[in-house]
Amino acid sequence: MDFDSPEVMKDFPGLYSSEKKKGADNDYNDESEKTTKKDMLIGKRKEKKDKKDKDKGYAALEGESSDEASPCKSKKSKTFKFTKSKDKEKEKQKEKHEVTKKSRPKKSEKPQKGRKGFGPSKQIVGGSSELADALPIFGVDLEEACKRGRCHDGIFIPLPIRECVDYIEAAGINFEGVYKISGPKNKVSQIKKLYNNRQVVHFSEYDVPTATSSLKMFLRDLPEPIFTNDLLIRFEEAGAILNYNTREKHLKTLVESLPSVNRLLLGWLVVHLHNISLKKHVNKMDKQALAQALNHTFHVSSRLLHALLLHQEALFPNLTITKYYPPLDSGSALPDDPVIIEKELSKLESLLSQIHWEMQNGHISKTREEHLWEVQRITTELKRKLKKFAKTESSQPDQAKSSQEKQEDNAKDELDNTKDELDNAEVQDQATVVISEEPEAPKLEQASDENKLEEEKEIHVEEKGDCSGILKDQQRSDSEEDEYTDSEITSTDSELLEECQYFDEKIVTMKIKNNLLKELIETLMMNINKEKMEIGEYQRQILNLKRGLPQRPPYKKCLKDPNSFHEVQTLLARENHMLQIKKLHLVRQVMEQTEQCIDLTAKLKYTFKDIKDQKIMQGKDITTKTP
Amino acid sequence: MSKKPTVQPALHKVIMVGSGGVGKSALTLQFMYDEFVEDYEPTKADSYRKKILLDGEEVQIDILDTAGQEDYAAIRDNYFRSGEGFLCIFSITEDESFQATQEFREQILRVKNDDNIPFLLVGNKCDLEEKRKVSFQEAQDRANKWGVPYVETSAKTREHVDKVFYDLMREIRARKKEENKTSNGRGKDKNKKKKLKCCIL
Ligand SMILES: Nc1nc2c(ncn2[C@@H]2O[C@H](COP(=O)(O)OP(=O)(O)O)[C@@H](O)[C@H]2O)c(=O)[nH]1
Ligand SMILES: [Mg+2]
Repeated sequence: MDFDSPEVMKDFPGLYSSEKKKGADNDYNDESEKTTKKDMLIGKRKEKKDKKDKDKGYAALEGESSDEASPCKSKKSKTFKFTKSKDKEKEKQKEKHEVTKKSRPKKSEKPQKGRKGFGPSKQIVGGSSELADALPIFGVDLEEACKRGRCHDGIFIPLPIRECVDYIEAAGINFEGVYKISGPKNKVSQIKKLYNNRQVVHFSEYDVPTATSSLKMFLRDLPEPIFTNDLLIRFEEAGAILNYNTREKHLKTLVESLPSVNRLLLGWLVVHLHNISLKKHVNKMDKQALAQALNHTFHVSSRLLHALLLHQEALFPNLTITKYYPPLDSGSALPDDPVIIEKELSKLESLLSQIHWEMQNGHISKTREEHLWEVQRITTELKRKLKKFAKTESSQPDQAKSSQEKQEDNAKDELDNTKDELDNAEVQDQATVVISEEPEAPKLEQASDENKLEEEKEIHVEEKGDCSGILKDQQRSDSEEDEYTDSEITSTDSELLEECQYFDEKIVTMKIKNNLLKELIETLMMNINKEKMEIGEYQRQILNLKRGLPQRPPYKKCLKDPNSFHEVQTLLARENHMLQIKKLHLVRQVMEQTEQCIDLTAKLKYTFKDIKDQKIMQGKDITTKTP
Repeated sequence: MSKKPTVQPALHKVIMVGSGGVGKSALTLQFMYDEFVEDYEPTKADSYRKKILLDGEEVQIDILDTAGQEDYAAIRDNYFRSGEGFLCIFSITEDESFQATQEFREQILRVKNDDNIPFLLVGNKCDLEEKRKVSFQEAQDRANKWGVPYVETSAKTREHVDKVFYDLMREIRARKKEENKTSNGRGKDKNKKKKLKCCIL
């Protein structure tokens, strides 16, 4: 079949735009274009019928509509062949919508069969396909996708990504060639359709490649790359820096300047891919291979993606991947523990407000209304349980707390949990992986902890509720034999004493660096101001000259013929361009060297200083920020 | 062959409306769990389900207890749309709450677009006779005007609590039977109306 003919491209500009460059995973979008003759005929007939019907006023009774962006194809279609003309293609596009209507019910039926104990067992959200049309989750702005495909545990990541990651972490980590092997196109578009229809997806009924391809598709469908159009080039530049520390620093700054939604999603994915790479001996996917399998998905070079994976611990410290448990439904047993009840309640409230929001936007259907009553009922039931509990517990108020403690694995977790109680993810998340910058011992010095909080303030806000779970020490020891081995952080010993000293040193050197950087900024600012003044001065001079002098004779006069004029012009332009590039390189080199200097000076100063002095200092200006 | 019992018992959706503090929650809890709560705790929205025997037939009732406050008006509309019968409550000790029933009635009719929607006017707190501000006749007149029954209840003493729920369910059931009898044409018509409404919204 010649569906990939250039004609298709003409008719659907931009359809392959993101795929053009890639070979390995030119996936599923083309799927939508493969409509069969039969479907077309049905479509035509339907269209005619529709026109008549509309006049009669029956239009509203037509079957369910569906996601226009990716109409799915009925299974039979593969057996039909036809040579299409441009005209036919155009027609097809018009009729896409109708065709979809026809085939949709078939699709959505399938995953409902043989559902195994994963997630809610009842298909409660269904049929509201007008929602899929008006408010799809795939192919929309990331923030919008997060709102529409909301994870009700307060983690602002689009549901499809969240569930794909969960499934891949659980089932795909030992899968050879995970992320390299693509899933069947029809299944992937089926998954997209289910999500857009707000239906429950059970990946256990699919397979790992389908999940990875779905994740890829979601990312590729984003209208703007996750790195944002504004920062993409700067990310690439930072990823190309040779010096390990400088690169890390630049990437970190860039990651921090991403919008919080993008930052969280990027972190989530990077940490996830890092987890995958830890099992490279089984799944044969090291960081390099993952970067190559996914760079097109992220719209970046594999070098940048690889760099992000290498620096993931520094870029996204304390970021945890927590498994998502959807809100309870009428099939689930209600929890008894008040702490869990609270968490479930907040999820249900989130779900309720989402349903109300959708309804207020005019997306009302019988199933949606049923769902609303059901969610409300469970909420009420849980609230009653909580009230009863509060009554019986008023005599022994400690129990709630102790039951919470039961859930915690160590003191650090507890600290985090109490900080962001409500938004905290499920307590069942015990089994999830926690990534942290260092293997943290429970008795971290308060100072170092605070310092960290200060540093990671931004990310903390985003990732609150992510910190429950088990700290995974092997993270670090398992980590790759990176090609860049000059990592400054090498503490694998978790001896408490060493830890403390290590943090001491780190803080003090950072303080020193802080001061040095401030000085640097000051001098740079002074230079900038000086230059600004100079610029102003020159501009004034130019203005004065212009006013005083007659118009300058045009250059043309000095040259014999227009050809050589052009030659000279292009030559000069090229030279200027090269000089610009050289300048950029030099500026970057200067900055890199300055930063290295600062690093080294800080280390030097630290070794000369008395530790006690530093401790006082550290107490004094713990709040100063590193620019 | 006699009637086969349906696999899933019929489900009737009842919505409690009325100003805050008139006893909507109290009536609901009394009906659901035979309990009376003295302290007042404003409701946002709560929903309950109970299986009961209605004239020998097993049915399920879904009760939605709403907020009286205007703050939740938008949420309330989403529920009103799916309600099949309404208990419009006021407190006989508070004239304001009686006046407010007019507004609630209008809201419901606006959302449901159906003058014959199963509906009961309920004067609650009839155990507080000494504090009565709304006369029986006054309320009965309004109910007559609307063409609905008027019942006085006490969530405290449980007087007429079951009655208002059962009476309403009988109305809903009768209404549904009537709808089933009339040909599909009518049902379709209704559907169409709904759809049109959605578009406007
Ligand atoms: N004496 C008496 N008090 C009632 C009755 N119904 C409700 N109350 C009280 O009125 C207050 C408000 O009741 P509530 O059910 O919360 O009102 P809602 O806002 O309509 O749900 C509570 O303090 C109840 O104890 C009743 O029938 N008799
Ligand atoms: Mg109430």
